[in-house]
Amino acid sequence: MSAAGAAASGPGRSLLVAEDIAVSFGGVRAVKDLSFTVEAGEVFSIVGPNGAGKTTIFNLVSRIYDVDHGRLLLDGDDITRVPRHAVAERGIARTFQNTELFERETVLHNLLIGCHAHRRTGFLSDLLFVPAVRRQELEFRRIAEEVIDLLDLQSYRDQVIGNLPYGVRKMVEVGRALCIRPRLLLLDEPSSGLNPEETEDLAFALEDINQGLGITVVMVEHDMGLVSRASHRVMALADGALLTIGAPAEVQRHPEVLKAYLGD
Amino acid sequence: MRFIRKTRYQQDIALFRHGGQWFWYSLLLVAALAAPLLLDRFYLGELALVFIYAIAGIGLMLLVGYTGLVSLGHAGFLAIGAYAHAWLLGQGWPFPLAIGSAAALSAAVGAAIALPATRMTGIYLAVATLAFAVIVEQVIIHWASVTGGFRGMVVPAAAWLGVDLGGPAAFYVLCLALLLLCLLLALNLLRSPSGRAMTAVRDSELSAESMGVHLVRTKTLAFALSAGFTGVAGALFAHKIGYLAPDAFTLQLSILLLLMVVVGGLGSLHGVIYGALFIGLLPQVLAVVRDSVPPAIAQLPGLEPGVFGLILVLVLIYEPLGIYGRWCKVRAYFDAFPLYRRATYKRQKQYLRTERLH
Repeated sequence: MSAAGAAASGPGRSLLVAEDIAVSFGGVRAVKDLSFTVEAGEVFSIVGPNGAGKTTIFNLVSRIYDVDHGRLLLDGDDITRVPRHAVAERGIARTFQNTELFERETVLHNLLIGCHAHRRTGFLSDLLFVPAVRRQELEFRRIAEEVIDLLDLQSYRDQVIGNLPYGVRKMVEVGRALCIRPRLLLLDEPSSGLNPEETEDLAFALEDINQGLGITVVMVEHDMGLVSRASHRVMALADGALLTIGAPAEVQRHPEVLKAYLGD
Repeated sequence: MRFIRKTRYQQDIALFRHGGQWFWYSLLLVAALAAPLLLDRFYLGELALVFIYAIAGIGLMLLVGYTGLVSLGHAGFLAIGAYAHAWLLGQGWPFPLAIGSAAALSAAVGAAIALPATRMTGIYLAVATLAFAVIVEQVIIHWASVTGGFRGMVVPAAAWLGVDLGGPAAFYVLCLALLLLCLLLALNLLRSPSGRAMTAVRDSELSAESMGVHLVRTKTLAFALSAGFTGVAGALFAHKIGYLAPDAFTLQLSILLLLMVVVGGLGSLHGVIYGALFIGLLPQVLAVVRDSVPPAIAQLPGLEPGVFGLILVLVLIYEPLGIYGRWCKVRAYFDAFPLYRRATYKRQKQYLRTERLH
C-alpha cells in the first residue's frame, strides 16, 4: 500500500532518535535523560512496570508534552518543537491506550479523518465542493478501503463507533493511524482489553503492517507473549530511566528487569 | 426496508444517496415553491420567518452540533448582519452586495471573537459568547449615529434591479433561495475534510490533533462560518421586522436559537429545519390553542416561554437527539416492522477514554 513508507525503510537506518530527553511534572521526573534509537523497519517494544514512563515517551514523540531538554529526531529532522498538528504530516501516527476514536461517527468516517494529513484542498474549495475536492475524496476513500481490507473491517464500515465492541475499536484505531500512511506507528498497549483470539489477529496485523507495508512500529505492551513474538528489539524502563535494550529473550532474562517487575 | 446496492465510491459522496431521496426532496421543493400560490400573506410571512431561523440555525448547528462549541451569543451576529445590511442599503448599496458584506462583516467579527473564545470550552465558552451578545447590544444602543440607538432605524425596502423583493411572495422566494444556498454550502462542507475536521474536534481534540487537524484554525473557521450564516439570516430578519431596535436582539433570542438546534436534533441539518419549524410555528399553534382552552389558562402570563421551556426540558430528558432523532427512531421502527428490537437505541456501556492525559 504505502510505497513511500516501504522505500524509506532501508535496513540499518535510524528512523527515530531520542537524545537525552527528559520531562517532569511538578516534582515527578517521568522521563529521566533517556536516549534510544529506533531503526527503520523494526518493531520496537517498550516494556516496564506501571509509571515507568512508557506512555509519556509516546506523548513526547507525538508532541502532546514538551520535552524539558533533549532532542527528538525523525529520519534526521529535528521534531522536538514541531506543532502537534504537524506531527501526522511528518509521518508519525499513534493510537491511544483506551482508544480516542470519534465516537459518534462511523468507522469509515474515522478512517477518512485519518486521511486528513494528506489534505490539499482549502476551506473555500471544500465549501464549494470543487472537482478537486471530489477527486481528493475518492482518493481518501481508496486509502481507507485499503486499510479496511488489511484489517478485515469490511463488516463494520458503516457502523457507528459507539456501538462497536472494544476489540474492534482497537483495530479501528490502528486503521485510522494507518490512513496517515505513517513512517512510524506508535501503538499504546494495542492488546489491552483484547481476548486471546483478538490478540492473535493483532499479531498477524502487526506482521502485515511491519513487513507488508514496511512501517516501523513502536509499541508499549504488557503482553510479553506478543512482545517476544512480534518485536525485534525491546526497551525496558523503570521510573523513567533505561534498564536495557536488546532482543526480547535477553531483556526478559535481564536481572535489572526482573528486579523492576518482581522486586528484590 | 431499503437496501442500497453500492457499486461506486461516488455514491457515498453524492448529496442524494438514492432515488427515493431525489423524489421526496424534489416533491418538498415543489411544495415549497407552490406555497405562494396556495397560502395567504400571513402564513407566507411565517414560513419566511421559519426559513430565516433555519439559515441562522445552520450556522449555529455547524458550531454547536458539529464542532461542539456552545454559543449563547448568536443574537449578536444576527444583529450585526441586520444592522450592517440595513445601513449599507441606506447608503445606496445594491441588495446582493449589502447582504454579502453584512455576512462577511459578521463572519469577520466571528473570527475575531473566536481567537480568544476557542481557548475556552463548555460553560466558559457559553458565558463568553453571552458576554459578546451583551456587548453587541450595548454598542447598538450607544452608536446612535449609525444604528439610531434606542430609537432604532428603518430598514430600506428590499429591491434590486427594479425588482421588488419585499412583497410577501418575492420575499418568501428570496428566503427559500438563500436557505437552499446555505444548506448546499453546509452539506458540501460536511462531506469534505473541513467538515470532518470539525466533527473530529467535537469528539476528541486530542486525537484530532494527532490526525493533523489544526485546532485553532478549525474552531476559528467554524466560528466565522457560523457567524456568516447567521449574518445572512440577520439581513433577512431586518426586512422581516422592518424596523431595527436593540430590543429585537436580546438574550432571549440567543436562547431561542440554541433551543432550535437542541430541540431539532444536535448534529444533523434535518434537525435545523425541524427546529426552525418548531420555534417558528409554535407561537401560531399556541395562539390557535389559546382560543379553545378556558380563559383562566389562556390568559396566564408568560404562557409562551413556559411552554417553550417545558418542551426543552422534556426533549432533554426523553429525546436528547431531538425531533430528528425521534423521527429516525420512528422510521427505524417501521423499516424493521415487525422485527423491531426494543433495545435498538438503548445506551451502550461507555468505555474509558484516555485518562492519563487529563
